[in-house]
Amino acid sequence: MKYRADVGWSPYLAGALSGLVLVLSVLIAGKYFGASTSFVRSAGMIEGLLSPDRVAQLAYFKSETPKIDWQWMFVFGIFLGSLISSVTSASFRWQALPDMWKNRFGSSISRRAIVAFLGAAVAMFGARLAGG
Amino acid sequence: MKVLIYGLVTGIFFGFLLQKGRVLRYDKQLGALRLMDMTIVKFMLSTVLVGMVGIYLLKDMGLIKLSIKSTNLGGNIIGGLLFGAGWGLLGYCPGTSAGALGEGRWDALWGIIGMLVGAAIFAEVYPTLKTTVLTWGNLGEITLPQVLGLSHWIIVAAMIVAALVLFWWFEKKGL
Repeated sequence: MKYRADVGWSPYLAGALSGLVLVLSVLIAGKYFGASTSFVRSAGMIEGLLSPDRVAQLAYFKSETPKIDWQWMFVFGIFLGSLISSVTSASFRWQALPDMWKNRFGSSISRRAIVAFLGAAVAMFGARLAGG
Repeated sequence: MKVLIYGLVTGIFFGFLLQKGRVLRYDKQLGALRLMDMTIVKFMLSTVLVGMVGIYLLKDMGLIKLSIKSTNLGGNIIGGLLFGAGWGLLGYCPGTSAGALGEGRWDALWGIIGMLVGAAIFAEVYPTLKTTVLTWGNLGEITLPQVLGLSHWIIVAAMIVAALVLFWWFEKKGL
């Protein structure tokens, strides 16, 4: 039963439908998909709570204003859409460690936290540098 | 306000489909990077194929504008290499980390926190990067059809054929 519930849809079908969602988004709202700029805006919003002067000084936050915009809501929507889909199909799983990780690196949560945190910081820095 | 609702609704549809395609998981993302499971590549390329045809159709009808990111070899190559290394360690990309959390894979939270820190560091060093890496190999807003001097429909057709061959090979190999 668990296996049956966890099969999902064909990635070709889900991917093609996502392409349709993209095309409709561009047609209706004039918005192309993206996610990483929202992390810049969020970082600016959080920094703004601690040190508004610093945020005002940084040139990057002048072009990427720290505020909630279309893309920020889009990223939040991805969270909600995934929540809705997984809860209604019994594939939601509260899990601290991915299976592949656990099999290779064991069950230490702090080890996963450190690697994920560092990897994420490097990945986001790279994404912003590459312009994506 | 309306634009925020469009963003939310679009995100919900996309997040729903990402979850249905089972592409939000660490095991799937690492599976693709380790060339063991091509689920993500199938999903992404299917999105690109449909998107490519739809966007160029709408553009030819004069209904939309393209949004072309300028090509900057220094930033694209160094940034891409860093992104790849970080992605391999984290196992989620920026958009899928939000989706993975929605599916209950809460190790994505470490990723979200790390990405906020990475973005903050980028903002700090941006003035230096702007006068160095980001000046290397600036080619402007170029596209493949423009560089090759071909109709965009020839490129679209070639991409579709290439993707279908790849899909056929994936299925044959059971990837």
